[in-house]
Amino acid sequence: MGEKFKVLYYVNQFFGQIGGEDKAGMKPVYKEEIIEPAMGFNGLLKDEGEVIGTLICGDNYFNENKEEALSYILNVIKENNPDIVVTGPAFNAGRYGMACAEIAKAVVEELNIPVVTGMYIENPGLDVCKSIAIVAEVSDSAAGMRKALPTMAKLVKKIAKGEELGLPEEEGYIPQGKRLTVIVEKRGSQRAVDMLLARLNGEEFETELPMPVFDQVDPADAIKDLSKATIALVTSGGMVPLGNPDRIQSASAQKWGKYDVSKRDALTGEYCTIHGGFDPVYANEIPDRVAPLDMLKEYEKEGIIGKVFEYFYTTTGTGTSVGNSVKFGTEIGKELKEAGVDGVILTST
Amino acid sequence: MKYLIATNNPLVKKKADNLCFVEGSYEDVLIKVRDLVYEGVELVSHPLGASMRMLFSPYRSIILGQKSKTINPFHVEIIENSIINYRKNLEARKVDWVHADDYALIDNELLKSTFKDLEVDFNKI
Amino acid sequence: MKLELRRIHIKDIQLGKETAVKDGVLIVNEEELVSKLKEDERIKDIKIDIARPGEKVRIIPVKDVIEPRVKIEGTGNGFPGVSSKIAQLGEGKVNVLYGAAVVTVGDIVGFQEGVIDMWGEGAKWTPFSKTYNLVVDITPVEGLDPHSHEATVRLAGLKAAEFIGEAGREVTPDEVLTYEIGSHVEETAKYPDLPKVLYVEMLISQGLLHDGYIYGVNSQKIIPTLLHPNEELDGAVISGNCVAACDKITTYQHQNNSVILDLYAQHGKTLNFMGVVLTPELTTLEGKFRTCDYTAKLCKMIGVDGVIISEEGYGNPDSDLLMICKRLENSGIKTVLITDECSGRDGMSQPLADTAKEAVAVVSGGNVSHVVTLPPADKVIGNDESIATLAGGWDGALLEDGTLMCELNAVIGSTSEIGYHYCTAKLY
Repeated sequence: MGEKFKVLYYVNQFFGQIGGEDKAGMKPVYKEEIIEPAMGFNGLLKDEGEVIGTLICGDNYFNENKEEALSYILNVIKENNPDIVVTGPAFNAGRYGMACAEIAKAVVEELNIPVVTGMYIENPGLDVCKSIAIVAEVSDSAAGMRKALPTMAKLVKKIAKGEELGLPEEEGYIPQGKRLTVIVEKRGSQRAVDMLLARLNGEEFETELPMPVFDQVDPADAIKDLSKATIALVTSGGMVPLGNPDRIQSASAQKWGKYDVSKRDALTGEYCTIHGGFDPVYANEIPDRVAPLDMLKEYEKEGIIGKVFEYFYTTTGTGTSVGNSVKFGTEIGKELKEAGVDGVILTST
Repeated sequence: MKYLIATNNPLVKKKADNLCFVEGSYEDVLIKVRDLVYEGVELVSHPLGASMRMLFSPYRSIILGQKSKTINPFHVEIIENSIINYRKNLEARKVDWVHADDYALIDNELLKSTFKDLEVDFNKI
Repeated sequence: MKLELRRIHIKDIQLGKETAVKDGVLIVNEEELVSKLKEDERIKDIKIDIARPGEKVRIIPVKDVIEPRVKIEGTGNGFPGVSSKIAQLGEGKVNVLYGAAVVTVGDIVGFQEGVIDMWGEGAKWTPFSKTYNLVVDITPVEGLDPHSHEATVRLAGLKAAEFIGEAGREVTPDEVLTYEIGSHVEETAKYPDLPKVLYVEMLISQGLLHDGYIYGVNSQKIIPTLLHPNEELDGAVISGNCVAACDKITTYQHQNNSVILDLYAQHGKTLNFMGVVLTPELTTLEGKFRTCDYTAKLCKMIGVDGVIISEEGYGNPDSDLLMICKRLENSGIKTVLITDECSGRDGMSQPLADTAKEAVAVVSGGNVSHVVTLPPADKVIGNDESIATLAGGWDGALLEDGTLMCELNAVIGSTSEIGYHYCTAKLY
């Protein structure tokens, strides 16, 4: 093939050299020119491929106006019809990572064009796109740009030329989570004997089937006297005050909210769910079905429990990364502990 | 009357007493068993078969025991995992109705065999 | 015990006048073989066919695979307790028609699977595309109950292997392999510093089409038992399991159990191989506890340092596998498990529903749901209609030109849980 494959590049306002946080609200633009880091990237493609243009969008604009931003971006990509799209690398930047991931997902799913991006392993965008795009594993800051670009360029070349990718650790991408069956040199029994010998000799070995590690939490001791206890209500069911004042995401939550419910007898009336992972009809009819403030308040009146904690905590569970969940849990837990809460009713959907 | 059979297998229905007959699918049988286990009923036989092929079966019979006041957490784990496993396996597959009679027969034979293991005459449960 | 497996390398099989081995070619008198098998009055019809590596031949539905052999010294020719009188196995000399296999075909129920492709893509996925296969297609008389039907087909295969094996009696072998391990006391005295290792082999033991036999005893009726590895290599364990094509252990794979052979290769060098524990996989939870406790107890009694545990089948046996593992690891015995996995057609699902944190060292035989595309065969031996069953699990699996898309779970021995084959799963 004599023709070069065409790459379309996406970056945020910062890498697009428009500006810093002050420009994070900018709408997406398309430039038929090559801007760093696409410049360096273009050089790495040598004569096999070329970057045909750069899309730039403000991180805040993208995350707050996802639909509009995506619709513009997808249109540009459709019109220019590249062979492959590159976004980022986003390193550990959360909003940039989410934008890179959402674009990657939409481009693969809707336009069926492959996407390569680059992220730090803890970037919240990773879970959104890793199974569908190829995500190069990069460091947690832009200082890693020089190492990231060659890895990404190599991946792009292989994919654009229709070559099969090797193992993630060999190629430098983050595993997509696909377990593929392959034929290897040693038969299974031989591998088992080798593995056993390694174990018996105290040498390193690698299991072929890692067991999922569940984060087991030991249950706390039972509350001795419920009638004197303060109980808080926490949910991952996306229950928020009408209008979602804190703009908690309907999926892949980046934050949690807390609301004063000390004056209320129930959530019903002023709350609704913004959770994107279930049919909300019944939850919106009576929000207490998801987070039973009504029952707790009744128990409080009857003296079964001492007191309902004045704040209600909420976030969305669907698609939310384990990393964020742990973070939310630790933050909320700390507040509750400091406030002297004795027990928590935690509901999920 | 030590044992109870949760089944949707018409062949078992014909032959055995002490049935909890489920008008429904393999999955419905699993769900019925789950509900019973949460009520404290003992799980006697494992809810799943021993091969992929038997997951195609439209029919399944599972042996349950006495009801006790406490729920056996190990049994809960087994039935819950079995349901997850079953659903996962049926995601991209279809129940093999073409050979329904054969599956009914094998399910019935395996059930008999399990009862032999339990040393209970199949006809006098 | 000392056992000599004397391999006569077989380079072809042909039908002919006299059943004999000549210059590495196994010649089989079809008529004689058929009439021998028809001595069993439950058999109505026998069809004999040959499938050679590379031929565009598909065999389906395969019930069992057996290696033809003859014991020329020592007790127990054939399969004692099943096709011949009971005898102690594990000592003596056996002439092996190495490279040949008897493959039985016969559908006891309609949904049976088990395909061997002798060429191309399909050949990659089964070890039995590399053997010269004498296919015995067995039709029983009408009205047999399923148990007798299964037993008839099982016995016919064993008898055929025995009959053909006889042809090797007077032939000088190309290669002689000696397997010798003494008593625990002797071996421990010889290798005081080597770690002691046992092999726990689990067998599906659940009833019709789901059985394994040890000296003819249905493994459903035993508590876990200890064998000298030579006994299994000499034919003590046979398969009556015909529903888990990809991961069932055929009789051939018992006769040539790869875990036993690979442990033998290390015996006296890096480890002290103490024997094989055969453990039934039962259906009742009580039964599972009994066998798992008992297996762990045997390992502890013998005082081993490490254990390899192999599974057979998928589903309820996963519980046994992990229960044995937990018990052993918790008593300080290091384990390696061999299993296969079901991570869905795209490989994205959680591979095992049951999990145990103790299972730190696991060998995977691959994903049973991995889809393979098998081009149409020039010739199908067995039952053509079974191909539709293979494809029957989902839409669009049987293409117009006869190309078949099926999951590895339909291919004999593809994801072997005794590690007989070369598949594994890797995270991409």
